[in-house]
Amino acid sequence: MAIDGMFNTTINLLGRSLDLRAENHNRISANIANAETPGYTPTALSFDKELQDAVRSRGQAAPVPTHPRHIPLKGSLMSLDQITGTIVEDKSAINSLDRNGVELENEMGKMVQNQIMFSTSIQLLNKKFEGLKTAIKGGV
Amino acid sequence: MDFFTAMTVSSSALTAERTRINLISSNLANANSTRSAEGGPYKRKDAVFTATTMTEPFAAALSKAGRGLEKVNVSSIVVDSSPPRSQYEPAHPDADAQGYVAMPNVNVIEEMADMISATRTYEANVTAAQAAKSMAMKTLELGR
Repeated sequence: MAIDGMFNTTINLLGRSLDLRAENHNRISANIANAETPGYTPTALSFDKELQDAVRSRGQAAPVPTHPRHIPLKGSLMSLDQITGTIVEDKSAINSLDRNGVELENEMGKMVQNQIMFSTSIQLLNKKFEGLKTAIKGGV
Repeated sequence: MDFFTAMTVSSSALTAERTRINLISSNLANANSTRSAEGGPYKRKDAVFTATTMTEPFAAALSKAGRGLEKVNVSSIVVDSSPPRSQYEPAHPDADAQGYVAMPNVNVIEEMADMISATRTYEANVTAAQAAKSMAMKTLELGR
């Protein structure tokens, strides 16, 4: 068994999801911070679909940009490291007098959900490492 | 893209909300002050919140087509220039010839409602900062 296989796609995927969840938390924090700023439009980080596509395309060759100014091919298969998520502005809720689109309850809900998903990834990673340790020690 | 960014954003909001609560306290405390340093009755003060993009070089390099992260700060404190409310009180030392006193333009009920909203937003930001902290601590525990 190749040693590369030890830290396989699952660990990479979980690591990537931790990164994205952390960035998503920053976004939600900014929305909560600006809950009373007139004219503020909330933003969100959308990455679920990209992540799913990357998982689905596992094992298939993805075009790797060899230059920092290469434009990533949209719709094509992306490798896990290329997923950064897209920032979307939520303009649906701007009907208040001060043109602020933040719904505090909504943001708090999103934050808790994000936190739980983060913990899930952490726990899965921990289990994965535990499994590796058990294998290394020969089950003792 | 780290947890300190989230902490900075949340604490900027805590500072802003605290400023707002301080101003509300000042307004409530002076709801009946008929004299002030500028002359005339006390005038209601309000904080102006502005969203400011975090000027972090790393974030700027990472920023794609989307908007950067925005924290909040109090850009200015404005004085409410609405006319003072006049109250009939002939015995008052500041009463005019008709017996009316110019009272501050503070609406106590409005200030109380504002205070509740500021407190709730403050609490929401504390929760957000706590969440960032617990996520960071969990990451540190990874592989233990």
